[in-house]
Amino acid sequence: MKVRKSYLLLGSVTIWILLGRLLHGKNTLQIDTYENTSFTSFVGQKALDLRGNRTESSAFIYFFNPIRGAIDGFVQVIRNLIAVPAPNSVIPIIGWFGVVGIIAFVVFATSQWRTALLSVSLLLACGALGMWQFTMDSIAMTLASVLLSLAIGIPLGIWAGLSDRVLKIVTPFLDLAQILPTLVYMAPIALVFMIGAASATIATMIYSIPIAIRITSHAIRNLNQSPVEASQSMGSTQKQTLTKVQIPMAKQMIVLGINQTVMAAVSFVVIAALIGAPGLGKPVIEALIIRNVGQGFVAGFAVVFLAILLDRSTSAAAKRQDSFIPPTQKQIKTKRIILIITGILAVVSVFMSRTMLWAAVWPKDVTIAPQVAKTTNNATAWILENLTIFTVGFKDLISYSVLNPLESQLSASPWYVTVAMIVALALIIGGTRTAILAFVLAMAIVLSGLWYEAMLTLTQTIVGCLLTMIIGLALGIWTGRNDRAERVLRPFLDAGQTLPAFVYLVPMLGLFGPTRFTAIATGIVYAIPVVVKIVCEGIRAVPHSLVEAATAAGSTTRQIITKVQLPAAKKTILLATNQGLIYVLAVVVIGGFVGAGGLGYLVIVGNSKPELQGKGLIAGAAILLLGVIFDRIMQAGARRSS
Amino acid sequence: MKSLFGRRSVIVTVVIAAALILSGCSKSVNDSAGEAAGDCGSYAIAMHAWGGYTASAQVVAEIAKKELGCTITQTTLDEGPTTYDAMEAGTIDVIIEDWGGGRWKDWTDRGAVVEAGENGNIGIIGMYVAPWMVEKYPDITDSKNLNKYATMFKTADSGGKGAWFEGPAGYTTIGEKMVSANKLNFKVIFSGSEAALVDGFIKAEANKTPFIGYAWQPWTLHSKLPTLEAARVKFPANDWSDPAKASGLTDYPSTPLIKLISKKLNDANDPFASLVKNFKWTNADQNGVAADLEGGMTAEAAAQKWIDAHADIVKSWLGK
Repeated sequence: MKVRKSYLLLGSVTIWILLGRLLHGKNTLQIDTYENTSFTSFVGQKALDLRGNRTESSAFIYFFNPIRGAIDGFVQVIRNLIAVPAPNSVIPIIGWFGVVGIIAFVVFATSQWRTALLSVSLLLACGALGMWQFTMDSIAMTLASVLLSLAIGIPLGIWAGLSDRVLKIVTPFLDLAQILPTLVYMAPIALVFMIGAASATIATMIYSIPIAIRITSHAIRNLNQSPVEASQSMGSTQKQTLTKVQIPMAKQMIVLGINQTVMAAVSFVVIAALIGAPGLGKPVIEALIIRNVGQGFVAGFAVVFLAILLDRSTSAAAKRQDSFIPPTQKQIKTKRIILIITGILAVVSVFMSRTMLWAAVWPKDVTIAPQVAKTTNNATAWILENLTIFTVGFKDLISYSVLNPLESQLSASPWYVTVAMIVALALIIGGTRTAILAFVLAMAIVLSGLWYEAMLTLTQTIVGCLLTMIIGLALGIWTGRNDRAERVLRPFLDAGQTLPAFVYLVPMLGLFGPTRFTAIATGIVYAIPVVVKIVCEGIRAVPHSLVEAATAAGSTTRQIITKVQLPAAKKTILLATNQGLIYVLAVVVIGGFVGAGGLGYLVIVGNSKPELQGKGLIAGAAILLLGVIFDRIMQAGARRSS
Repeated sequence: MKSLFGRRSVIVTVVIAAALILSGCSKSVNDSAGEAAGDCGSYAIAMHAWGGYTASAQVVAEIAKKELGCTITQTTLDEGPTTYDAMEAGTIDVIIEDWGGGRWKDWTDRGAVVEAGENGNIGIIGMYVAPWMVEKYPDITDSKNLNKYATMFKTADSGGKGAWFEGPAGYTTIGEKMVSANKLNFKVIFSGSEAALVDGFIKAEANKTPFIGYAWQPWTLHSKLPTLEAARVKFPANDWSDPAKASGLTDYPSTPLIKLISKKLNDANDPFASLVKNFKWTNADQNGVAADLEGGMTAEAAAQKWIDAHADIVKSWLGK
């Protein structure tokens, strides 16, 4: 069965290549960038009408505009509190010293003093980077979107946890939202809610709500059922069981969900600046504009610090385990007294931040930003000067040997040949249902008129994913087998996951020039951490007995890896590949900014040229369709392989 | 344990409530600070993605803050519809430089955005080769000779043809039409951002490698590559103003750059509105400030330097 499958795959690829060669350049559906199809100009016209209607149509007056107003107001209140001068004032309501005091106290109260100390140092570091106000703005934006996400996500998650029907209805939407590249849905949101904090908050929520829903419903579903049954048999109402038994039991898991929701919101901080969000994204994007790598990194570091701060403080709250020995009366009392004292200190710090100028406004002279910027600029300059020969050589090698042949195969073959190929792959890997889905989605791309650009993006994504998997597998196996390696690499992986892709887009541009490969390389850097982490976990999950048996039988390390660990972790590796693909796709489209063309460029150009707006919106949809096709095929493959 | 957790939440709540009440009631430091409040309100200037724009916008912002006492926010935004929408939504009041040739018509027609005259800069757009090439191949700046050199411009990305680096997404570009109308053996590559073009030109000049790309005046790149203007490829003079109607046979027209303001600012008709309406300077002015910016000066310092050196012009903008 297994052998037959790989023969089938090989056979269909061969046929595809032959047909592609034979019919080269026919029916490629290529149109010029400035040209619209009747469909894209129809969508463009609708978008223009929508813009014109915003002040008149009742949908806007009674629905969208009030939502925008409410969210804008909510964000503004939080910003006034910590970030921007309050009305009739030159400082925010709470100055920097007060913010530090409150955060230190809250973290101390919910976890432990070590985490509180870490949080304070990270906050001070953001200030020292000259990013205090941007950081506060980002915290305000994150706080607003997280609070709103939780207000919607947790109830929905509980509902989906209790009812199979609800779960079934929401799951496809959750899947979709997690595949959706962020660049894609910002334009439609800005169209309806306009540029500004409201749009940014809503865009962030779309990204973070699914996580809150998923983890909450998971938490409710995976509870130990005996207390629930006991409660029911004692005659509790459904409401009582929920509030007295299920939610308290699921609390720890739900707090973990909050942590994940916060992290999703933080990862949105930078890209949200593209639709007018205040915060750290602003200096990052500005640095891209003036090609100031150092300044970009200064802001990028602040993003990373903020992410670590929020991650550690929320996950420490989730993990906090009371010791098995019940605390004595005296311990409780001491703890309570310490809490009250630190609480008073926090209140005093707020008071000071309102009465003394030094505690209200971050002192401008306390800064390490110029040094950091200079160091990173020098490092980048050195890298560009000395490594460009290698990087350009590598880029050309990959371009001529992999990228160009694949691009010519995908984009210069007739569309029906490639569609047939995709459907065949889906059929072999995933079965009939996957094949039907793939056919429908691929045809939707064809009908949208953007097939050619979709194939360019597909090429870049595939090549990026291949390279990601080569590097990711190697590092994943290494860290999976070696604790020391894991400890050394872990901080880099964490930082890599939170460092916004825009920060290294410019250095990549320096290394590879305005080319497709710059987009691919950026995608690889973005995707590697998640792939390494998943592969590492997969390798670690292989039962020790298997590895020991193989060692005892005299296998070499290489044999153990290739014959035991990799096959046993096959399913995880497939899932890692899937994640890798989705991550690469999400960033490859940003490559439109640096010469990669394809669908990403159309999204970008649609944002700035009214006549191409429709095309840009459709391009966003096409990216999503590509993502879904990939995701479904890979998921089906992973399911079948287990 | 349960009770500890309960008490803990109570303490946390009490502290936060105390902090909030305190911040609401206590007399704050700024009540005594007493900012000199002019009759100028608070406005937002859009900051677009190129150095020259930053120069113009920063000069206006500095004058507004220092001379008029306005509160000015500067918001980084994509040019074009994104910003017009923001102006309609009331979050942006000024675009100090727009190249768009009337793409704002939908917004001005319904009164959401108002044209505030030319800013004095003349936009020149064209295709330029790397400056070193002009010396070596003097006839390369004639569009008729481009095909002769096409193979030199080949890269891994250009599919056997010459690579033609097109301008950033929001800019007026007709590269595809130019290539097909003039039957040029080039492939259009959408460089996507100003950063990508700067990178392309600078590397090509440093390494003496062939490069042809979209460039414009006023632009800070000219201060780094002083001979760039001589490297402009000449196509027949232009016959169009609407990109959709361009044949592609001819060059880009030169464009007087426009200022746009929000309805709110136009209606207010206050000192800031008249400053923006009066603002007008030359390409040389803008390039000077932009070059200082590029040289590592902060935007505030570069703008202030120009303001200090041109007190008369600033005075005339202020209507003094």
